[in-house]
Amino acid sequence: MPIKILVTAKRVEDYESKIKVNAQGNGIVLEGLKYKINPFDEIGVEEALRLVAKHGGGEVVVASVGTKDVHEQLRHALAMGATRAIWVNHAGPLDQMTVAGCLQKLIEKEKPDLAILGKQAIDDDQNQVGQYLAEWLGWSQATFASKEESLESEAEKSKTPALQLSADAKTLTVIREVDGGLETLECSMPCVVTTDLRLNQPRYASLPGIMKAKSKPIEEHTPATLGVDATPKITVTKMEHPPARKAGIKVPDVATLMDKLKNEAKVI
Amino acid sequence: MSAGINRYKADLRELQFVLFEQFNFAEIAGKGPYEGWDQETAKTILQETYRFAREVLGPLNGSADREGCKVVEGSVITPKGFKDAWKQLFEAGLKQIAVPKEHGGQGAPFALYAIIEEITSGANTAFNMYPGLAWGAAEVISQCGTEHQKKLYADRMFNGVWGGTMCLSEPQAGSDVGAAVTRAVKQADGTFKISGTKIFISGGDHDLAENIVHLVLARIEGAPAGTKGLSLFIVPKKRANADGTLGPHNDVQVASIEHKLGINGSATCVLNFGENGECVGELVGAVEHQGMPQMFRMMNGARIAVGIQGLAIAASAYLNALEYAKDRKQGANFKSWKDPAAPRVPIIEHPDVRRMLLELKSHTEGIRALVVKLAAHRDLSLIYQGKDDEKATYHASQVDLLTPIVKSYASDEAFRLCAIALQVYGGAGYLKDWPVEQYLRDAKILSIYEGTNHIQAMDLVGRKLGQNGGANFQTFMSDIATFVEKHKSHPIFGKEVAALGDASEAVVSTAMGFMGWSQSDKVTLVPLSANRFLEMMAKTTVGFVLLDAGVRAEEALAKLGPTAADRAFYEGKRYSALYYGRNVLPQVKQLAELVTFEDTSPMDISDAAFASF
Ligand SMILES: Cc1cc2nc3c(=O)[nH]c(=O)nc-3n(C[C@H](O)[C@H](O)[C@H](O)COP(=O)(O)OP(=O)(O)OC[C@H]3O[C@@H](n4cnc5c(N)ncnc54)[C@H](O)[C@@H]3O)c2cc1C
Ligand SMILES: Cc1cc2nc3c(=O)[nH]c(=O)nc-3n(C[C@H](O)[C@H](O)[C@H](O)COP(=O)(O)OP(=O)(O)OC[C@H]3O[C@@H](n4cnc5c(N)ncnc54)[C@H](O)[C@@H]3O)c2cc1C
Repeated sequence: MPIKILVTAKRVEDYESKIKVNAQGNGIVLEGLKYKINPFDEIGVEEALRLVAKHGGGEVVVASVGTKDVHEQLRHALAMGATRAIWVNHAGPLDQMTVAGCLQKLIEKEKPDLAILGKQAIDDDQNQVGQYLAEWLGWSQATFASKEESLESEAEKSKTPALQLSADAKTLTVIREVDGGLETLECSMPCVVTTDLRLNQPRYASLPGIMKAKSKPIEEHTPATLGVDATPKITVTKMEHPPARKAGIKVPDVATLMDKLKNEAKVI
Repeated sequence: MSAGINRYKADLRELQFVLFEQFNFAEIAGKGPYEGWDQETAKTILQETYRFAREVLGPLNGSADREGCKVVEGSVITPKGFKDAWKQLFEAGLKQIAVPKEHGGQGAPFALYAIIEEITSGANTAFNMYPGLAWGAAEVISQCGTEHQKKLYADRMFNGVWGGTMCLSEPQAGSDVGAAVTRAVKQADGTFKISGTKIFISGGDHDLAENIVHLVLARIEGAPAGTKGLSLFIVPKKRANADGTLGPHNDVQVASIEHKLGINGSATCVLNFGENGECVGELVGAVEHQGMPQMFRMMNGARIAVGIQGLAIAASAYLNALEYAKDRKQGANFKSWKDPAAPRVPIIEHPDVRRMLLELKSHTEGIRALVVKLAAHRDLSLIYQGKDDEKATYHASQVDLLTPIVKSYASDEAFRLCAIALQVYGGAGYLKDWPVEQYLRDAKILSIYEGTNHIQAMDLVGRKLGQNGGANFQTFMSDIATFVEKHKSHPIFGKEVAALGDASEAVVSTAMGFMGWSQSDKVTLVPLSANRFLEMMAKTTVGFVLLDAGVRAEEALAKLGPTAADRAFYEGKRYSALYYGRNVLPQVKQLAELVTFEDTSPMDISDAAFASF
């Protein structure tokens, strides 16, 4: 049975870029940075493609909120195989509630069976959008989706999806990472899933895929046309590097060590 | 080098510069056969290829070197991971990028393909040879084969379903290809029975694809001696039915594989054809005695590919050495070398280490620009084909002229540059814990196969200089003269541009000298000086493209704000050009002087006088 899945493609700084705090101390230096699709989102796109392939077709719609630069990430997802893209055009600060609000409206329009998001973005590590979204839609949710086998397993090589959709597409079985192990959830559809790192190994955008992506449609919206108030509810007032680690010291004996731990570091 | 760690490095910014800013990819993409291509797509593909190279190919480079290939029950087993890598490479469509659209590829410009090849070959030189040979052999079939052969063989080879090889060398026929004695006997059904031994066959057997198509040079019974009597045969490892299903083994036996200095992941095979009289081949294109011209299509491509292999290895050696030099602390700054209390500094602060690094940087960048220049000429010749004959001929002629230069200079330099990169590491570079010793070993084959570098030099002086009545060479020189005229008072490169002018004059006068020798009793001076002439011409060309890059970089710099992140990149291009212009270009004049000495001592010395044994 064909299914429709909405996935996300946030534009984030490449983890190999060197991040520096700007002179005003309220953000980072943007010049010279490289960007890529949030790795957790990429895992979401991969999982969606596998699910659609397994369930006899359907659609993977990829969405992103930001300036026109996000087209690069949308194209990446399209090159991997997503069917079409939606761009919510927005410049300036953006918080998790705005993003979740935009996604909510898009989902109400698109009516997918399932939304797969990254559990968080690697830029600000917030881990909130999926949860807001499920709550506001009134959908079930399964966060931190993972799987039992390793990324080197045969199942992974043959690209079987880790999320298991029932034959009638009414329930989704999700294995999720929890402290100290894995937990299996059965969710009623529609639902929101957020991906963890070990869910799958995203494919390389194939060359024919890259060529095809150029002519796939990108639909444009803005928060205003979707009826979402984009005024940030959170403002970043200060940003600084973590303090540099101090050099270690040598202590003559255990007694001094205990003393320093108790009275200087105050950790015991 | 421990298993599974990627050591391959590329500077994507530099790759983009050469392709987009120096050789105007935007003017090639979208035109003629390159319809549907544009710069943005090319950029995405470079990024994806680099990622693929680091994640899939690079981690197998060191492990494959240590593991090597083995023969088990008559079949070659390639190193661990190669099979998956092959599958992923073709799934991602990277090898099909420049394959013509009618064979299921993307028909990309060669200029882009050259850079993609640099990346995949740099990440894993030995692995990259298997798909490279399949591609080259498929090209011959797609250009010279019958319609049936194109469909049955070329399509599958281009798409990684079947592999391919080129089988020229025999025990008595290495450089002298015409001495080949592998026999072909015509059968009643028009096919041929093949029998003979081919040696040194790269990828002669492997477990990466379900079948391998050998292109075999053989002599049909009664054909004349020498290269003119050779024909080219399609000889599959397993016989192929018309629908592509596989029949029985075709009596091609792996007699052994060689144990060698480098490219240990690439199986170098001795192949016996028709030991049991059961080896069947078919003529490429169903024509007899066309073996050499047909094989030359593959060899011209393969010679360029060898140049790219050299570039690829040297470039990664450079970037690894650079990283090491920033990290390794040893000695104090030169200015306080007498003070034992002075802080230890990273070796990149030492003048001699900086000299080595800039030697590496300028040469790898120069060779890259040379390779892409050749590739862009090839693309342009196809764009103008049938539209503007004069332009098409001009561009095609430059490809011919530059091919032996790319092959030889890139390969000789690769080995020398790897030695310098190793020197940057000091003792660590000699150890297998670091990647450079493998780079050095892998690079050595490049000056030998696909025609030794002397064979290339003879091709240059014997054929290419005089080609088209000398017009190809003259247009090449006049391109340089135009550049010199235009930039001789450049505020930054004026002096170096003048050195380019001197170098090109030296090349011309040496070429004239060769003509004189050819028509006199001094003819042995031609082979004696051919390698030196190739070196002169290569250094002049590389100086030319580096200065051209420098001029373009200065123009870009002038448009940038004082704190722009790209400034350092363009300043780097400036120093590559200045260094080469000051340290290498002036050598051309000196080499020309050596040539005028007409030294014949290698001929004058008797064999007995070389050593007393
Ligand atoms: C790792 C490896 C992979 C290879 N892969 C392939 C392959 O896939 N297919 C294939 O067909 N071959 C392959 N070869 C063979 C390769 O092309 C030959 O080694 C090469 O052509 C040189 O031939 P040779 O080894 O017989 O050396 P020789 O021809 O014996 O040359 C020895 C030396 O003599 C010089 N020399 C020879 N003849 C002349 C002359 N007339 N004038 C001046 N100098 C001369 C050469 O320049 C060289 O320095 C491979 C070789 C190696 C080592
Ligand atoms: C196989 C092998 C056998 C060896 N045998 C012995 C042995 O028997 N006994 C023994 O004591 N040692 C031995 N060595 C060590 C050898 O002598 C050192 O490797 C060598 O002195 C270089 O030192 P390094 O490796 O620390 O390189 P480094 O000193 O780190 O040098 C790295 C690079 O930086 C350059 N550099 C370093 N300092 C300066 C400077 N001040 N100015 C300019 N350039 C500089 C070097 O020229 C080199 O290019 C051996 C090494 C090897 C690989």
